[in-house]
Amino acid sequence: MTRASEDLRQPDTVAALSLRDVVKTYDMGTIQVQALRGVSLDIARNEYVSIMGPSGSGKSTLMHVIGCLDVPTSGTYTLEGQTVADMSENQLAEIRNEMIGFVFQTFNLIPRVSIFQNVELPMIYAGISRGERRRRATAAIERVGLADRMKHKPNELSGGQRQRVAIARALVCNPSIILADEPTGNLDSKTGAEIMGILDGLHDEGQTIILVTHEDYIAQHARRTIRLRDGVIESDEEVRAS
Amino acid sequence: MRVLRDIVEAFRIALYAMRANKARGALTTLGIIIGIVAVILTMTAANGLQNTFRQSFASVGADVIYVSRMPWVIQGDFFLYRNRPQLDLKMAAELESRLRGKAIVNPTMDTGRDVKYRSETQSGLRIIGTTEKQSLVASAQPEIGRFLNEFDVTYKKNVCVIGTDVRDALFGSANPLNQSINIGRTRFRVIGVMEKQGGSFLGGPNFDRQIYIPITSYVKAFGGQHGRQGVDIAVKAPSKEALEELEFEVMGEMRKIRKLRPTQDDNFSINKLDTLVGAFNNVMGVVLLVGLLVTSISLFVGGVGVMNIMFVSVTERTREIGIRKSIGAKPYSILLQFLFESASICLLGGTIGIVVASILTAVINKVLMPASVSFLILFLAVAVSIAVGVVAGLVPAIRGSRLNPIEALRYE
Repeated sequence: MTRASEDLRQPDTVAALSLRDVVKTYDMGTIQVQALRGVSLDIARNEYVSIMGPSGSGKSTLMHVIGCLDVPTSGTYTLEGQTVADMSENQLAEIRNEMIGFVFQTFNLIPRVSIFQNVELPMIYAGISRGERRRRATAAIERVGLADRMKHKPNELSGGQRQRVAIARALVCNPSIILADEPTGNLDSKTGAEIMGILDGLHDEGQTIILVTHEDYIAQHARRTIRLRDGVIESDEEVRAS
Repeated sequence: MRVLRDIVEAFRIALYAMRANKARGALTTLGIIIGIVAVILTMTAANGLQNTFRQSFASVGADVIYVSRMPWVIQGDFFLYRNRPQLDLKMAAELESRLRGKAIVNPTMDTGRDVKYRSETQSGLRIIGTTEKQSLVASAQPEIGRFLNEFDVTYKKNVCVIGTDVRDALFGSANPLNQSINIGRTRFRVIGVMEKQGGSFLGGPNFDRQIYIPITSYVKAFGGQHGRQGVDIAVKAPSKEALEELEFEVMGEMRKIRKLRPTQDDNFSINKLDTLVGAFNNVMGVVLLVGLLVTSISLFVGGVGVMNIMFVSVTERTREIGIRKSIGAKPYSILLQFLFESASICLLGGTIGIVVASILTAVINKVLMPASVSFLILFLAVAVSIAVGVVAGLVPAIRGSRLNPIEALRYE
């Protein structure tokens, strides 16, 4: 993880991403819904940020924009120096592949194929050679402690184990940011704590992590909390060490 | 290199998907199997008919031209031909002398007669008056006994050489040699039996149901206005390559014999195996085209089945598409994935279809006609099945590749 170690040398000095006056409007036929009404924020490398807000606050939309699943209607979004607006679908796919690691509430593993193949998949799209894929997938699966389950299918695993697989999959392409959308939402609190432990560990290793949640005790893991309400940032503050 | 790797991976993914839905894949494949079998069998049948045709007319000889009053295949108005004067034996002799030994010339006359041996009667056998050169012109030789010789012809001997079917019908398993048979009202002694020559293709002449007698005896027994009527002249070229030049020369000599002025059309015809082959191929081409058109419909229906199942597959895996897109799959990766899946289904169907069709062809070859599956047909079948898969998968695959990742991820 060369990038992570570079990050450790220069923490908090380089912006990983920045949003300026980002507006996102959804055209719902007759009415237009403004999900984001001008959001500006910077997140530096190796930051650990949580995004909070009630449902309808626009936090999902913000996550989609940050995750390059969607492009802003207006405003600019810059990720690692690249402006995302006006990118083609192929370019967005490349950005997602190389710079973003998603961890979803519902795990979103491909059910028919093995754990190993799930973790290998992003590297297939990145065009990484077979041997290199094997090496990195194995390392990532070992990192989340599932080395003995590599050949299993997702439905043979518990929820916590599935989320570990999802984290391993998010890690294999050395992303700039890990984007975790309610990562513990479908887990019991003990397993949820384990998953948060893994994320904390990744942050300690230099990973930039953005956490979308509505649970305060989950948000406590982050160092900074951004609260959204009605499509604007309501507050943006450091989390006091608990 | 990158593209090649993408293709290999897409193929692997397609194989996984197919293994996961065995029953559905099998049913879909069945449609393609039936389509491919139908198409291959049509082509095989055409090929078999062609082989049968070639075998049937092998005894006509590829290096022989036949000068006759009428063409074998009449094109256009029959009335243009009916007033042509007859060819006679004198013309045959004159043609032979004009060709000065460059080719073997053999005149023949033929008629239909009832043939009787003791109580067995066969009606309407083809009686051919010919000379000893018959065995030089045509490839068929006697199986037992001997063929007519110069002596038989010169001295108008009442001897005959019969075809295998004639032997079987009149003599059964008894030895026909030196037995006497009645051809019309004249007695002939059997001196030989020809080897099997085949024929009777689609109602054509059966070369095994004919009897050769000396042409002199023929004139004596059956008249034909003392050889002035109904003579065909076979001219055998020294090689197949020399045939074209010979044909040209024969045409010139015949015009001189017929005393035609340069402005007059030929009042005789020059026939050869190629004339028949050409006519046959024209008919066969149409039959093959219609056959392929009809069988393509079943392949088309199979393709529609594949398209249907691919739509189901894409809808079922909407969420999977969302996941793949979120971790970096480009639209074209998704497109390739589904195209490979449908192409694989069809390729599998095509392969099984080829095996089934090969077995059926072997059976046809045994019981019906000489047929074989050529490599060209196999290659075409594989290519067509892949093409059907790609075409059938295209619309569903495009739909899958265009899905919005956010909506696809929300899909339940």
